[in-house]
Amino acid sequence: MICLSHLTKRYGAFTAVDDLSIDVREGEVLGLLGPNGAGKTTTIRMVTGFLPPSKGRVTVAGFDLYDHPIQAKQKIGYLPEQPPLHAEMTVHRYLAFVAALKDVPAGRTKAAVRLAIERAGITEVAGKRITTLSKGYRQRVGLAQAIVHEPPVLVLDEPTSSLDPQQRAEVRQLILDLKGRHTVILSTHILPEVSEVADRVVIISRGKVMAVDTPGNLAGRLRARDAVRLEIGAPAGADTVSPGRVREALAALPGALGIRVDIDAAGTITARIESEVGVDLRAAAAAMVTGRGWQLLGLSGEPLSLEDVFLALTRTDDERGG
Amino acid sequence: MRHAFVIARREIESYFVSPIAYAVMTVFTFVSGLFFSNMLVHYVRQAAMADAQIQRLGRSDLQLDVPTVVLAQFFQNEAFLLVLAIPLLTMGLVADERRKGTIELLLTSPVRGIEIVGGKFLGAFALLAMLLLPMVPMFAFMGAGGSWEAGVIASGLLGLLLLGAAQIALGLFVSSLCESLLVSAIGTYGLIVTLQFIDTTGAAGDSIWVRLLGSLSFYARHLNSTRGVVSIPDIVYFASHVAMGLFLAQRAVDALRYKRS
Repeated sequence: MICLSHLTKRYGAFTAVDDLSIDVREGEVLGLLGPNGAGKTTTIRMVTGFLPPSKGRVTVAGFDLYDHPIQAKQKIGYLPEQPPLHAEMTVHRYLAFVAALKDVPAGRTKAAVRLAIERAGITEVAGKRITTLSKGYRQRVGLAQAIVHEPPVLVLDEPTSSLDPQQRAEVRQLILDLKGRHTVILSTHILPEVSEVADRVVIISRGKVMAVDTPGNLAGRLRARDAVRLEIGAPAGADTVSPGRVREALAALPGALGIRVDIDAAGTITARIESEVGVDLRAAAAAMVTGRGWQLLGLSGEPLSLEDVFLALTRTDDERGG
Repeated sequence: MRHAFVIARREIESYFVSPIAYAVMTVFTFVSGLFFSNMLVHYVRQAAMADAQIQRLGRSDLQLDVPTVVLAQFFQNEAFLLVLAIPLLTMGLVADERRKGTIELLLTSPVRGIEIVGGKFLGAFALLAMLLLPMVPMFAFMGAGGSWEAGVIASGLLGLLLLGAAQIALGLFVSSLCESLLVSAIGTYGLIVTLQFIDTTGAAGDSIWVRLLGSLSFYARHLNSTRGVVSIPDIVYFASHVAMGLFLAQRAVDALRYKRS
């Protein structure tokens, strides 16, 4: 549906995007993951025709973006990182304006705007001026303008990055609702977001593709071991809890590989137990702690952060290179 | 072409929620009124003096030539007012979109560069027409007083529209080079004030350069229309400024894609 081949963008001596090739299949949600400055926005701007690449081609729904820009752009709905809103207009009028720009036939504009408003969940603010809206609503208006002409391709640049957690969850849900209707390219630097909505993830760093895979595989590939984190407290007066005893007890758990135990000034003991991938030690660890009469203050599977993924990727890269 | 009208309509709408456009229209109309009443007072004085001379001497040397003296002066003053007003109306046309990032919407929509600048031009031109609208009741008032010079008035208004259109096209071009409204306005002032006042009629000598510069002057080209003369070369002259301004603006807008913003 969208084909990026050997896409390269240079600014003088600086290469922002370096020989990027990806095929996005119809109906797929592709996550573009990378830290700030990795080349996500530059890539997205080349895909939407805002920036011309220094080298390489982009084809959208069979139309080459540079030979047939008008036809290709009709197929794309685009939400830039900063939604391109005309703040002085009402939501309704703005969406009608965008619909006309995107070649929605005049007779269908009304229906298209109504549908976009409904899908973006902004019915209650449709008559208001955009300048009076909160950031979350503005982001939804931005999403509505991206889908108003029902494009087969939807390109979203960091759609949730400037929102609070509540709004972030709402916008994420909206994107999930759009899944299936559109082929989506979504950029973000938040790993959980990608794992929630994307079918495939491309990790880029310094303009280069580091990995392309499903979120599950990617996490699995990068994770040599699973880990469980425990917080243990002692009941008042009890002296049966000590780091040494905790270590000894945890080491007896079947499947436990590495154990690290710390104690803080308040006497709370934290322990991290590593195991083979796929072995979940949480239940066994909890049973053991309570069985000993200790207090279980906290228990969690250790989440894999983007930082971990990244560190892992760059490390293997360096090892290969060196 | 539909896109150009869509963009023009949005431009006009945004003028009407913008304090800048209201301020420009208010001041322009007020000062136009001032010029107009000065013109009438001047004319009435001349007429009274002529009457007195005729009564005393039986004849008068005073020329009571409304078309070439009174109206011409008025339209020349209006042209000067346009020089002041137009840069304020064109400064934001593209610069504001660049500043707010909404240019990204236009450049990623299935819209051609020429449709973008064409729409912007039409929007600003429509506002210019509205700016000149309050003159209609002024002239109607003058007509009620008996000196209705319809031909001169029509050619004067046409002249202002042509002059304004050329200024708008150039302002649009400058605006598409800028991200700051202030820089855009200053640049446009520089350009159109220069073009307005390169007038070499007072220059010594008659070299090719004097004539070349003189032929570039907006002022000299606009003069005919203030005297009731509709001349094809003048129309072509201003129209070619519009064409050049739109062409340069379109190139500048297309070149925005090559910049890092």
